[in-house]
Amino acid sequence: MFKRALLLGIVSGILAGVAALIYDKVYFSTTRVDFSKVTSTVSILAATLIGGLLAGIGYWLLYKIMKGKGEVIFNFVFVILSFASILTPLAAKLPLDIEFPELFPGLAVPMHFFPALAWFTLKPLFIQQTVKDYDKPAGV
Amino acid sequence: MKKIVLSFATLLALTAVFAFSIASSWNIKSDYSIKFSGEDASGIFKTFTGTINFDEKNLAASNFAVTIDVKSINTGNGMQNKHAIGAEWFDAAKYPSIVFNSSKIAKAGTGWQVTGTLEMRGVKKEITIPFAFVPKGNEAVFSGTFNVNRNDFGIGKPASGTAGVIKIEVYVPVTKK
Repeated sequence: MFKRALLLGIVSGILAGVAALIYDKVYFSTTRVDFSKVTSTVSILAATLIGGLLAGIGYWLLYKIMKGKGEVIFNFVFVILSFASILTPLAAKLPLDIEFPELFPGLAVPMHFFPALAWFTLKPLFIQQTVKDYDKPAGV
Repeated sequence: MKKIVLSFATLLALTAVFAFSIASSWNIKSDYSIKFSGEDASGIFKTFTGTINFDEKNLAASNFAVTIDVKSINTGNGMQNKHAIGAEWFDAAKYPSIVFNSSKIAKAGTGWQVTGTLEMRGVKKEITIPFAFVPKGNEAVFSGTFNVNRNDFGIGKPASGTAGVIKIEVYVPVTKK
């Protein structure tokens, strides 16, 4: 389970990073405001990859400690932490030579949800859902 | 003939007096910086304009009249910028500019000091600003640091003690007109 959770974390981190980079390009072409000083390609990829890795380790730990309820708690914690993390770009103080700092949350806030979205999207490919008895088709 | 000579002499005398009483005028270069820092916020004002007439040898004719565009404030945070130009703080809709007009410039130690009226948020107050003047050929730099208490101008929520004190750092490179 640990290997699968960790692999899921890494792959979802990379997927989130690619999505964030695409969003960064789209945002720049729309607003023409350059935030590359604070959101470089390396920092975006590193942040999403670290997020994915932490999610993988967290999932494995909760699964191990809480067994069946571990996944539910993990999903709640992951989403709550993603929401809480948007305070960082909202309160961020950018270098003073960056124009239009009011547009920064529009770039960074959606990116904070990409790791969770990537995780939930890819999870069925790495970790199979437990099918409860009452979910099984009749007669199985 | 006498009349012509007298007229020329008068003109010459007037020109000399006029030339002597005008201080050097300076154009503000674009790489100026107006920084502020306090307990509530810190940042810069990006738009600074005005006229600077300053001659070390003719202080009586020297004067400063400068204006800062309040909406050009940048604290590095968009929400804070919006809050700063709002009604509780600078109220930029009603008071779009910060204005300083000098009334007296004097030598102070190795530097200078300018006394004048600072108008912020519609409140005028006389202040004295110490500054340094470093000339270099046709260019020069004015720089100075001083404190203002935002409570005196009704900016923001009233703060007690030193909480309302804002440190202003001014760096203005100029070229001779």
